[in-house]
Amino acid sequence: MTHLSVKIGTLDLRNPVMTASGTFGFGVEMASIIDLNRLGAVVVKSTSREMRLGNPTPRITETPSGLLNAIGLQNGGIDNYISEKAPFLRHFNVPIIVNLVGYSVDDYVYLAQRITAAGAADALEINISCPNVKHGCDFSVDPLLTFELIDALRKATPLPLITKLSPNVTSILPIARAAIEAGTDGLALINTLLGTAIDARKRRFKLANVTGGLSGPAIKPVALRMVWQAHQAFPDIPIVGMGGITNGIDAVEFLLAGATAVAVGTATFVNPAASLGVLDGLEAYMDEYGIDDVRELIGAVKAIDD
Amino acid sequence: MSVLHIDAQVVDNREVIKDHRVITCLAPDLAELARPGHFVNVLASEAASSILRKPFSIYHADPHTGLVAMLYQVKGPTTVGMAHKRAGDRIDLVGPLGGNVFEPDPRPGVHHVMVGGGYGVPPLVFLSKVLGQAAQTPQITFIVGARSKDRLLCQDELAEMGVNVRPSTEDGSHGVKGRVTDVLSEILADDVAVYCCGPDAMMRAVGAMCIASGVDCQVSLEAPMPCGIGVCMGCVVDTTDGIRVRACCEGPVFDARKVVWK
Ligand SMILES: Cc1cc2nc3c(=O)[nH]c(=O)nc-3n(C[C@H](O)[C@H](O)[C@H](O)COP(=O)(O)OP(=O)(O)OC[C@H]3O[C@@H](n4cnc5c(N)ncnc54)[C@H](O)[C@@H]3O)c2cc1C
Ligand SMILES: Cc1cc2nc3c(=O)[nH]c(=O)nc-3n(C[C@H](O)[C@H](O)[C@H](O)COP(=O)(O)O)c2cc1C
Repeated sequence: MTHLSVKIGTLDLRNPVMTASGTFGFGVEMASIIDLNRLGAVVVKSTSREMRLGNPTPRITETPSGLLNAIGLQNGGIDNYISEKAPFLRHFNVPIIVNLVGYSVDDYVYLAQRITAAGAADALEINISCPNVKHGCDFSVDPLLTFELIDALRKATPLPLITKLSPNVTSILPIARAAIEAGTDGLALINTLLGTAIDARKRRFKLANVTGGLSGPAIKPVALRMVWQAHQAFPDIPIVGMGGITNGIDAVEFLLAGATAVAVGTATFVNPAASLGVLDGLEAYMDEYGIDDVRELIGAVKAIDD
Repeated sequence: MSVLHIDAQVVDNREVIKDHRVITCLAPDLAELARPGHFVNVLASEAASSILRKPFSIYHADPHTGLVAMLYQVKGPTTVGMAHKRAGDRIDLVGPLGGNVFEPDPRPGVHHVMVGGGYGVPPLVFLSKVLGQAAQTPQITFIVGARSKDRLLCQDELAEMGVNVRPSTEDGSHGVKGRVTDVLSEILADDVAVYCCGPDAMMRAVGAMCIASGVDCQVSLEAPMPCGIGVCMGCVVDTTDGIRVRACCEGPVFDARKVVWK
């Protein structure tokens, strides 16, 4: 019997494979395509206080082995999530993780309290990178703001907190440390890498927003490196690794680098059942190499000459 | 919505005009479900650097033979990969996609007018075919526009179907010299319903002309659709209700009155 379950704080996952926020909607469309109950957890699209229309179009463009998106966090807002999305998701036997996004500490605390009171999630993923905010409050690059935010959330809710870090920083370690010291139960990394794309023929940017976030296989090496760095620095904190995971072997690589769980994002666009394919591939790898417990893989990567 | 992920067998793949090909594959379940305006998301790139699926309208779907066809313009990694397929090869499709497809105007005696350009023509051919199967053959006019005669799509097929074909070419090499709107302006009347698919500028002009004349016009919009299934929010369209909706799920077909053009 292979043992696949892992824990993030008090959150039990039957297996380490979850969905990446913003690539699975709110599960409604996906539920008619795959069996949600097989997933470790469903992570839904970023949810904000008010409904958001997101950025103007075009807001997606294909780039080498990946894609650049500037969706701008379009979502129906917290009222809509609680009244319409959550009741649907609660029909399934799978942990629901709501990804929260706000402009201020106040926003996040409000969202966490609403979700907690409504029982509308099993854990919260805190998206601390808000690159489109005009007045420049960007938690993801500031350890002090990150501490203040996670500290306030820790006091506002008993739900497990997973802080999602931005890779667009000189070093993620000070931000990770701040989140951990404030009491986060886990880290999620990485969010998308800031980039742009230009159409030489038209001499124009390809995105209306000019910049966007890069995802897909193109970012996997960067994501693996950051997961490994964070795991080296904070071996006791569970990490949800993501960035270009397409198959079971990719997932194994993230576990070896130090992730406790993995999330599948862009790959779902290519193959709607990619997350389940990752899970099947992980199990096949464990069978092949005689691994009984998935936790044996976590952080088990060795140096070439070791 | 029931979305299938299909590994279909290619049965035919041929050039119809320069850089435009029709690929036909065996996909009985898809053929059963497909309606005019539906599309499939195709994974066919041979280049490792292009990972995404690309959307293609369904051109033919025959529940009796189980055959489904797409007409595509060869221009990038997916369509080059599609062009390389031979009979017997496999092709990876997700579909049928689209939450809102062409809705035939139910008025008795209505005059259906298709306005198509480029690879916007194929879904309208499918629609004409379906309309033509009605017990009482309706009046269908098909306005098809192109730069020149050699770029006009589906001419023979439309002639065989017995629809009234009205070509327009910008260089005047065939049909009316000018644009599709030059032909449409002569036809618009109260008993007309317009269905349009083509380049953005064309749909915008056709939509505006219909709105001004109080004629119903359905447009099938194009936007990059990384997922096609409604989860990525990449393909949104601004509507006159002040909201942004997904072209893949709330479209791709919209009432022209609802669309806020960029
Ligand atoms: C609902 C819907 C239905 C559609 N139906 C059809 C259909 O039936 N048939 C069809 O053919 N298409 C259809 N399309 C459009 C089709 O999905 C896109 O054209 C698709 O991107 C083609 O994929 P590709 O990988 O071959 O090329 P891509 O790489 O996606 O696009 C070609 C790229 O090559 C470059 N390029 C394009 N033209 C030129 C040029 N003239 N010179 C230099 N560079 C150029 C541009 O950078 C462009 O991004 C549809 C789209 C939608 C949304
Ligand atoms: C279209 C799109 C939308 C996304 N939306 C969100 C979002 O709303 N909130 C968030 O925290 N991350 C969002 N992400 C980032 C993903 O959750 C993930 O961190 C990133 O894409 C890397 O994983 P991947 O390479 O497997 O896609 C989005 C990614 C994509 C491609």
